Amino acid sequence: MSPIIMGGKRFGERMNRRVGLIVGLLVVGGVLAASGAAPSAASQDEQSAQLAAAVQAAVSSGTMIHPDVIATDNKTCFACHARSGLTYELPSGDSVSAVIDENKWMASEHGQQDMACVQCHTGISEYPHEQATATDLRSFVVDESKVCVDCHEEQATRVADSVHAQARAAGNQNAATCSDCHDPHYAVNPPVSRTDVPATCRECHSGIYDLYEQSVHGEALTTGNPDVPTCTDCHGVHEIQGPDNSPFRLFSPKICESCHADKKLMSKYDISTEVFNTYVSDFHGTTVLLFEKYAPDQQTDKPVCVDCHGVHDIIPPNDPRSSVFEGNLLATCQRCHPDADANFPTAWLGHYEPDPHKWPLVYYVTLFYKILIPTVIGAMLLFVLLDVFGRIRRRRQHG
Amino acid sequence: MAESYPRFTVSDRIEHWAQVVSFTVLAITGLVQKWPELGLTDTIINWLGGIEATRLIHHIAAAVLLLAVVYHVGTAGYRLYVLRQGKLMYPSMRDAWAAIHAVGYNLGLREEPPKEGHFTFAEKAEYLSIIWGTAVMAVTGFMMWNPIATTALLPGQFIPAAKAAHGGEAILAVLAIIVWHVYHVHIKSLNMSMFNGLLTQHEMEEEHGRELDLIEVGEAEAPLPSVGVVEKRRKIFMPVYALIAIVLLGGVYLFLTFEQTAILTITPPEQVQIYQPGPTTTTTLP
Repeated sequence: MSPIIMGGKRFGERMNRRVGLIVGLLVVGGVLAASGAAPSAASQDEQSAQLAAAVQAAVSSGTMIHPDVIATDNKTCFACHARSGLTYELPSGDSVSAVIDENKWMASEHGQQDMACVQCHTGISEYPHEQATATDLRSFVVDESKVCVDCHEEQATRVADSVHAQARAAGNQNAATCSDCHDPHYAVNPPVSRTDVPATCRECHSGIYDLYEQSVHGEALTTGNPDVPTCTDCHGVHEIQGPDNSPFRLFSPKICESCHADKKLMSKYDISTEVFNTYVSDFHGTTVLLFEKYAPDQQTDKPVCVDCHGVHDIIPPNDPRSSVFEGNLLATCQRCHPDADANFPTAWLGHYEPDPHKWPLVYYVTLFYKILIPTVIGAMLLFVLLDVFGRIRRRRQHG
Repeated sequence: MAESYPRFTVSDRIEHWAQVVSFTVLAITGLVQKWPELGLTDTIINWLGGIEATRLIHHIAAAVLLLAVVYHVGTAGYRLYVLRQGKLMYPSMRDAWAAIHAVGYNLGLREEPPKEGHFTFAEKAEYLSIIWGTAVMAVTGFMMWNPIATTALLPGQFIPAAKAAHGGEAILAVLAIIVWHVYHVHIKSLNMSMFNGLLTQHEMEEEHGRELDLIEVGEAEAPLPSVGVVEKRRKIFMPVYALIAIVLLGGVYLFLTFEQTAILTITPPEQVQIYQPGPTTTTTLP
């Protein structure tokens, strides 16, 4: 029997759970019906007080009401759960507030949809309520979220592929479940707004949040700029992926590309959209591109964007704190090329297309071959065609 | 009049086929890296077992080509020093005139084709192109394979410049082989000398008229020295070449193993505790 504490007073201690001593809800229902018309807002407090008193009376007198006839409308629930101070205690000693703000509930998506409390709280059909199977707060939260799939099957299927589901399957109870991100009582639609996402993730990932908040992306988002990626833009929404998932790292340049190759978006910030192309045309990017095609489930040791630029703490390359700031490049290269020295970083053209001013050697070598190849091959072709022509002409002449 | 004329020794043919195989493998495994986004690239790389395997095959083929170069230094040196066949091999003004003559012949301005020696102007041009191309590919390949050693001496920009040259030279070489070599020895007429070592009477008449004329009067374009002289020069040449070969082979070994460019593990780009409940954590009763 779950100990219910109401206003600090313990009651219903020795109730027979199986019989299901029913709350005197019908009694209350009778009271309400007797009062005639629908209760006005002004009289709601009074009515819920009456209901609570009736409940208490029913419990203490051992009145039993069959579960089939228990009232399960929300009003009945709110009679108790709208009252402040109501908590639910679990065997572990964890205590949870059992108070629902009725007005906020009414404004929520579930409230708007006229959801009944017992549609989600399926384990509750009698009073005093049945004991939850969970013994501590975390497993209670996880258990309660299992019901979401009944209505949100598509999302639940996607969650099943997420890093959170994998972590839970591996025994990590901290892994997020539905209600950790979506407050079932108060969430509005859309469930979590883009700018609210980092704060939501922060509840479990505050270390990462702190890095993100300082980054060029995080700084913009937290000051209201929706152009920048929020957590879910890179990690996905329900099928959230983490860095230990090889395809995520391997395909991450494409995530960056989705914004950084967008000319319209980048022109607002004067950022080159050639960053992805120039990456792919160099050793690192070529390998990653080919690797992801051939072995998308395997990992490559060649760097992706975040290996040089940083992950959550990305800052502009002209910021002296950036890992790709000119003065910091060598140290960044040395993370994978420990023997590299001063000239090494310029072996990477820094996402610039070679031109006569920036990287003239590369530019002129390329130009040299652009002229040499057609000249040589053209001359060869001309010579060969002349030979073909001569042969045809001679064959005609000599029959 | 002989039916056929000796053209290539077994050694020449082995050298040629080592080059054919390594060149072809290098071209295929290299060009797919130059154009990673092509559909055909996917097919080839999948077939070869992935990009890392493709690079390994490219490097092995490079090693085979370098070994062929070391061997060729020996055979070319033997021809030049021991057999004194330089006259056959060096390009000259005569070759330039032969080229012009050939154009005139094909345009109908000349009645007869140019009478050429053992090696035609087309062959000499191709040979010199191969020397140039192999040198460029080897140097730029070394630079890309060993970027840390290269940038210890040269500005970093030399690495992408080497890559541009390596790619450009590769396209030039592949196209030149297709246009020039394939035309001259496969399309114009199927030349079998790299299989059986022999040229036919017709091929000799058409391509090596001067050499044929000399053979018919019992002379040679570059007469071979006497057996005694050959023996004497051999005794000098062989140890010298052995020494050169050892140095070159050492060079090849260095080429292949010069540096460990990068670590082979993945350094996590970020060190952060993933689960770290934040200050705003609240628990809502579901």
